Amino acid sequence: MIGTPISPVSAVGRVTANRYVSSAFLRLDIDLGLPFDFRPGQFAMVNEPGPGGWTFSRPFSVLAAADQTLSLLYRVVGRGTAALAELPAGASLQVLGPLGTPFPAPTAERSAVLLGGGVGLPPVLAWCERWGRKDDIACFGARDGAEVPWELLGPRWHVSVDRPNGLPPGRVAFTGVVTGLARTLPGLPGPGRADILACGPLPLLRAAARLAQERGWGCYLSLEEHMGCGYGVCKGCVVPVVRGGSVRNATCCQEGPVFAAADLPWLGEEDGGRGEDTH
Amino acid sequence: MLPDWWQLDVTEPFTLGPRRLPGRIWTASGCFGYGLHAHDFRSPGGEGPYAGIGAVVTKTVTPAPRAGNPMPRLVETACGALNSIGLENVGFDAFLADVLPALEVRGVPNIVSLAATTPEAFGPMVARLHEQARGYAHWHGVELNLSCPNVAEGGHDFGSSAATVARCVASARAALPDRALLAKLTPNVADIAQLAVAAREEGADAVSAINTVVGLDVDLRTGRPFLPRRFGGYSGAAILPIALAKVDQVVRGAAVPVVGVGGVATAADALKFFALGAVAVQVGTAQMRDPFAAAGIARALARGPR
Repeated sequence: MIGTPISPVSAVGRVTANRYVSSAFLRLDIDLGLPFDFRPGQFAMVNEPGPGGWTFSRPFSVLAAADQTLSLLYRVVGRGTAALAELPAGASLQVLGPLGTPFPAPTAERSAVLLGGGVGLPPVLAWCERWGRKDDIACFGARDGAEVPWELLGPRWHVSVDRPNGLPPGRVAFTGVVTGLARTLPGLPGPGRADILACGPLPLLRAAARLAQERGWGCYLSLEEHMGCGYGVCKGCVVPVVRGGSVRNATCCQEGPVFAAADLPWLGEEDGGRGEDTH
Repeated sequence: MLPDWWQLDVTEPFTLGPRRLPGRIWTASGCFGYGLHAHDFRSPGGEGPYAGIGAVVTKTVTPAPRAGNPMPRLVETACGALNSIGLENVGFDAFLADVLPALEVRGVPNIVSLAATTPEAFGPMVARLHEQARGYAHWHGVELNLSCPNVAEGGHDFGSSAATVARCVASARAALPDRALLAKLTPNVADIAQLAVAAREEGADAVSAINTVVGLDVDLRTGRPFLPRRFGGYSGAAILPIALAKVDQVVRGAAVPVVGVGGVATAADALKFFALGAVAVQVGTAQMRDPFAAAGIARALARGPR
């Protein structure tokens, strides 16, 4: 745990901005009417206020917080997020957060290698904004140049794209996966001198864990999992983890979403452990 | 606005069997963990998520720890959700050692939900519970989970026979002289009142109605059920009318106090159960969405006669 835990707040907030920051991602700013703080890697549950809306709120990684305003980054993936994208300024949203175990804070001995993929950008971007130092490395991967939220990324961010189309004038990107990009960078830290902090789709997380193993770095991964409650009571989002030498279920929402890669025994398996019967 | 017929204050103590409980709005088993979560959560009103709650019915514990079912365990539907958690729990020993004392220290009013694989296994569990906790001020009773429909070795068959319900209640009652004993009933039967009569005759102080409704949803991408065990327990707003019907059948057919549960998300939903004669109401799936749900309902129904 990093410092004193921040007590989660449950409040109905007011949308102050909700707009596309790239071809794929929207930034949602919500004024909660009371102070909000978080640690990079934590998330918030969002829903319509009142008994309408989704049966379960939806988790979104926190991108930023300033005074009373919480900012999220999301992609339209289904009916729920499509409805979210239609919300005008002034609309109300129920918010519960910050929730979950964050990324570790920086240490003097180790630099950070930040790897974000797609909508997995918020936690690593938030970490970089709050704690990023000269020697830390920041890489973001997207499908193409148009999908990259350039306005959010400072000059220190290296960018990879699956396809090199849609790049704005003057922007450059590595064509390939984000871990491939990281390997090309000069001056990578030696063994025991860095931790990878990664968030993104499962193939990215697997590649990040392999890169960390090759280089002798630590590795922390933020997992994406469907959640029920978001605060540990429903046991609907468990992942198998190694604790004290044996495997047990951990709640992704409370014990995660950030886990040490070394604690995820299924990471090397093709089906991500999902086919396992955990009895 | 509360209706004219409403005369209760749900945050006033009331008597249930041998016990005075601190209030009539409870959280349902499995929907608020063991009652140890969310104590530090804040809301603009300033009141915490436990304010005014009459009891947390703790997540069901079984004699041995259970890892639960494989993922995925939840499927959201249009007006509710299917769950197949598989009674993941820390086990009875860890519950007695760690959870129950913590609830007492925190002052969380609680009713302990138990499940077992044979009717006669309830008695020894309740006896151990009573031996340890008989001096506890905040432990108010036991709710027998007779109807969790997604446990392969028990399943809804376990609680769908009146004879089996009777054996479970008899076993537990013999070991529980001074706390409330409730049997939680499955709706997946033709005649729920018959189960309630069986529970009453063996000494249950009340029945909780209802547990989840058996349901299934199909993933059209694969053509197979979403849940690895096919069926899940259906809960949420969609089951409110089902729960109201079952509660009505029990109230009119079994002459036993009923705790209403199923689809309650608002004070108006809870009032419907009270209107039918329920003595208390549990908040389930809505508590997962909003940890302040039960406290909010209790606050809304806290005013007495006007």
